[in-house]
Amino acid sequence: MKFSYNWIREMVPALDIEPRELLRLITTKTAECEGLEVVGAALALASVAQVIHVEPIAGSHNQIAIVETERYGKKTVVCGAPNCRAGMQTVYIPVAMTVIQGVESDGMLASGLELGINRDHTGIVELGGELLLAPDSVIEVDNKSLTHRPDLWGHHGMAREVAAITHQSLRDPVQLELLPKGAAQIGVQIEDLALCPRYSALVFENVTVGPSPLWLQYRLESIGLNSINNIVDVTNYVMAEIAQPMHAFDAEKLHGKTIFVRSAKGGENIVALNDERYTLAPSNLIIADAEGPIAIAGVIGGRDSAIGAQTKRVVLEAACFQAASVRKTSVSLKLRTDASMRFEKSQDPVNTVRGLARAFELLYQVSPGIRLIGGVADCKADLKTAPSIDLSIEWLIRKLGRLVTAEEVREILTALEFGVTETGPGSFSVSVPSWRATKDVSIKDDLLEEVGRMIGYESITPRPPLIECAVPPDNPARKYEREVRDLVAARGFTEVHNYSFISEEMARAFHFDPDAHIKVTNPIAADQSLMRPSLLPGIRRNLIDNSRRLNSFRLFEIGREIHPRLEGLPEEIPHLAAASFAREGDGSVGLFELKRLAECLMPRCEVQPAPARKYEHPRRSATVSWRGGSIGRLFELHPSLGVEGRAAILDLDLALIERLDQREERYQSLRRFPTSAFDLSVITGLRDPVGSVEKLLARAAGSDLVEIEFVRQYTGAPLPEDRKSVSYRLTVGALDRTLSSEEVAVIRNRIIDAMREAGYELRV
Amino acid sequence: MAPGQRPDSLVLENQIAQLESATLARIHAAKNLEELEAIRVDVLGRKGSLTQFSKEFGKLTPEERSSAGKSLNAAKQSLESAFDERKQGFASEALEERLEAEWIDLTLPAPGTSPGSLHPVTRIQREIEDLFTSLGFAVLDGPEVETEYHNFDALNIPPEHPARDMQDTFWLSDGNLLRTHTSPVQVRGMERLGPPLRMIAPGRVFRNEEVDASHEHTFYQVEGMMVDRNVSVANLIYFMKTLLSAIFHREVTVRLRPGYFPFVEPGFELDIQCLICGGGGCQVCKQSGWVELLPCGLVHPNVLRMSGIDPEQWGGFAFGLGLTRLAMMRYGVDDIRLFASGDLRFLRQF
Ligand SMILES: [Zn+2]
Repeated sequence: MKFSYNWIREMVPALDIEPRELLRLITTKTAECEGLEVVGAALALASVAQVIHVEPIAGSHNQIAIVETERYGKKTVVCGAPNCRAGMQTVYIPVAMTVIQGVESDGMLASGLELGINRDHTGIVELGGELLLAPDSVIEVDNKSLTHRPDLWGHHGMAREVAAITHQSLRDPVQLELLPKGAAQIGVQIEDLALCPRYSALVFENVTVGPSPLWLQYRLESIGLNSINNIVDVTNYVMAEIAQPMHAFDAEKLHGKTIFVRSAKGGENIVALNDERYTLAPSNLIIADAEGPIAIAGVIGGRDSAIGAQTKRVVLEAACFQAASVRKTSVSLKLRTDASMRFEKSQDPVNTVRGLARAFELLYQVSPGIRLIGGVADCKADLKTAPSIDLSIEWLIRKLGRLVTAEEVREILTALEFGVTETGPGSFSVSVPSWRATKDVSIKDDLLEEVGRMIGYESITPRPPLIECAVPPDNPARKYEREVRDLVAARGFTEVHNYSFISEEMARAFHFDPDAHIKVTNPIAADQSLMRPSLLPGIRRNLIDNSRRLNSFRLFEIGREIHPRLEGLPEEIPHLAAASFAREGDGSVGLFELKRLAECLMPRCEVQPAPARKYEHPRRSATVSWRGGSIGRLFELHPSLGVEGRAAILDLDLALIERLDQREERYQSLRRFPTSAFDLSVITGLRDPVGSVEKLLARAAGSDLVEIEFVRQYTGAPLPEDRKSVSYRLTVGALDRTLSSEEVAVIRNRIIDAMREAGYELRV
Repeated sequence: MAPGQRPDSLVLENQIAQLESATLARIHAAKNLEELEAIRVDVLGRKGSLTQFSKEFGKLTPEERSSAGKSLNAAKQSLESAFDERKQGFASEALEERLEAEWIDLTLPAPGTSPGSLHPVTRIQREIEDLFTSLGFAVLDGPEVETEYHNFDALNIPPEHPARDMQDTFWLSDGNLLRTHTSPVQVRGMERLGPPLRMIAPGRVFRNEEVDASHEHTFYQVEGMMVDRNVSVANLIYFMKTLLSAIFHREVTVRLRPGYFPFVEPGFELDIQCLICGGGGCQVCKQSGWVELLPCGLVHPNVLRMSGIDPEQWGGFAFGLGLTRLAMMRYGVDDIRLFASGDLRFLRQF
């Protein structure tokens, strides 16, 4: 929303603060200002000029014009405007002397665009009297900070703030007493007063449609509104001044003598002022005549009933529509207008007739000869006064953490036009003005804000609270994630963050059925349409991107997998996905690095070969399990996924580990008797996992086993090509005595027999 | 001395002295441990030349014997300590020689993998978690996929409320949404823990926005809330000043100005005085001297009520801080897209 400094000053006549300082004050006390812009700067030096003589320049559309200026005397300028002619009155600006087509031009005659008063550049300004325009400063306020303030969508509301901030008096631009009494010339019927609490209208005849006077064009231009014609410009002016959206219909194009405010019927449609056709639904509130829709309520008018050059009679509408309804319609039609933005903020129904009064006054200025017919049509709900709010000074002091006096509070609220009645020592009953009562202010906390912002938050001294100390509730899962992060980073992995979105294509590549997972209904891009059921697609992208620049690297992410559930919110499972990439080598280093990482997180976890998933190397995939739970996968990424080189990946369910990690392990008492050790070498198939050999050995050793330790594996002569020898060192012992060498030999033989029985050959 | 002749004790003592000084010279001249040991055996051994002198003592008067004995012992002691000293000298020479040979170039790179690093947002997040934990705040988590109720309604943002426009929302096929802020964790915290309550909730949030150098659809926030009997604006400012001074490692100046957020009343935008120009005005602060940093306010009574807390008995403050933005300020990162880029050239710098 843009605010004209000069416009505000019309309502706060004593305003003597520079625009930049005013901007700072508004920012700290009312709403965030985003910028300050000077408009119409050229007007500072502009002068009214009478064109005395015009002479063409041969071979050019330019002319030499001799002008008599009010401020600078007689001047000779070169002018290319087609409307430049002797006898006209226009505007001269003293720019530096230039030579155009051999002619010295001392200054220039200006178009509306050049002066910044409108967007017209087809010719120079046609002036019909004095040029009473001056440069202006425009303050732009962030719309988001006006969300709760329907009144600040007009200059009068902002002027009220400025008056309160600067302790000046405020002038109301509206003279309500101008409104005519008497029977209205048009009927209004409202179907649902909840959706339209008030609809007011006036009818005018003998209307002349034409360009607005320059001051009106300039005002609208300075706050970014386009001048259309005198009638439409007045409606926009009133909207920008008192936040009341207005609409003018060509009365001759309306059917019947009644305006209906009703829900659209299915199938009804309307061509709007923007030349778009909108098909309406029953959820859309419309303005209709006897034939059908003439406007979409609170959003936009219809093209067929719009004001045109030939318009003679006008119905002027000033209504109030329910915020939620307007917003719903505006969203469903994808159409936001200056009107809908205002109605969405819950406008004040009291304001409709004020809008008519102000427009009436302005129309008499801009459309000479215009005449009112009849009185105000005014159909409205029972407009209740908002209940007063009890406010205690003691409560204010407690909430602010700063002393305030009853006098300060009264002064602040009164300046903002709240009604303040003292009901006891330090307590008030506060009535809320209608323009703040629609949604913005209803409880004492809202008044706290009014007092707080006006006394200035900078006047509050920071103070620590006095509260009982307590140990905060624990969050073991988060603590655990932190430990994991530290450990993984310390082991050489760099943390990445990936989006929670993946493409359907990637989901399929990673074995997920896109239709079985949660989709984003309004994705930012087609390739980010699915909630990730796995961190792996993101990791794959990291691998591809970084492998373009690096020959080897390690990275990891801790993030949530999102899985649908039949009921309630989806399941969010924290996962660790770590990857080790090497362009060269056979890939085993990365896999074992990750296996060791898994062991660091889960001491004595087991890695068991498992059938590979589609995205896993078919001969390099395993499940990781720990304490009886299956925790995740260790694998090399399948080359078909586009990573050139070797990428080992560990993917673990952190929630599961964290839960199993909570289990308390009991200490085992230390052995009091010496143990004995011996080595065994088992011959096995080249691709038989040594893990199974180890398990068999351990099982054969039974309760005598203290420890089993891998020593080495060997291939080559004298073993056949498809065999390998695996050596283990077994330590055995008893809890209650030292085993004799004979006993140890018995155990050893028992193990050898058991292994032979299981079909293994032993080298003893 | 002729046999049978009574030896002169003085001569004997003189001979001991001579042997002592000759031996000291030999000890000094010894070239290694073996040579030294040979000399020791030769002089101090059981058949050594010094030991031999004692055999002569029997022929002396008791007085002479005592005097000669003293001389002999003194010589023995002096030689023994000379031997030890020389021996130690050899040992330390040998050690020095060994150490000298064992030179290692420590500028060579360490074998094994060099450590990785944590994401810059993780680092900032930890600092904030640690600070608030030290102030007695709980660190809570909430789901990234939220219900419309928790993300909006329970925060005093009913359907059709224009504030819903302030946060472009990702909607999901299951009817839920991606949380647009970490504020729903406030609601879950109040529902679960009740008052009094001190909590923060860091996490990932989502806004349906086009991505450019300063906008991301996925970023990190930390939400904070305190609910107690007497919580004032003065308390809020205190916590914010403490938080920001800790984050920026220096005293910061803050200001509150009105800001509209439906879940707080009054609501504030908190600005800090520009750390680049110190408030004089520069490009970073768009010449205003202030940088907008975080929204905060006193918890709206409706929000308390919806979570089953009586606003007449309890009050509180809440704030939301953009962690990603903070990381940008802290490390001078000028492109927000780097955070989710997975680019190790960027991430390894932290
Ligand atoms: Zn600055």
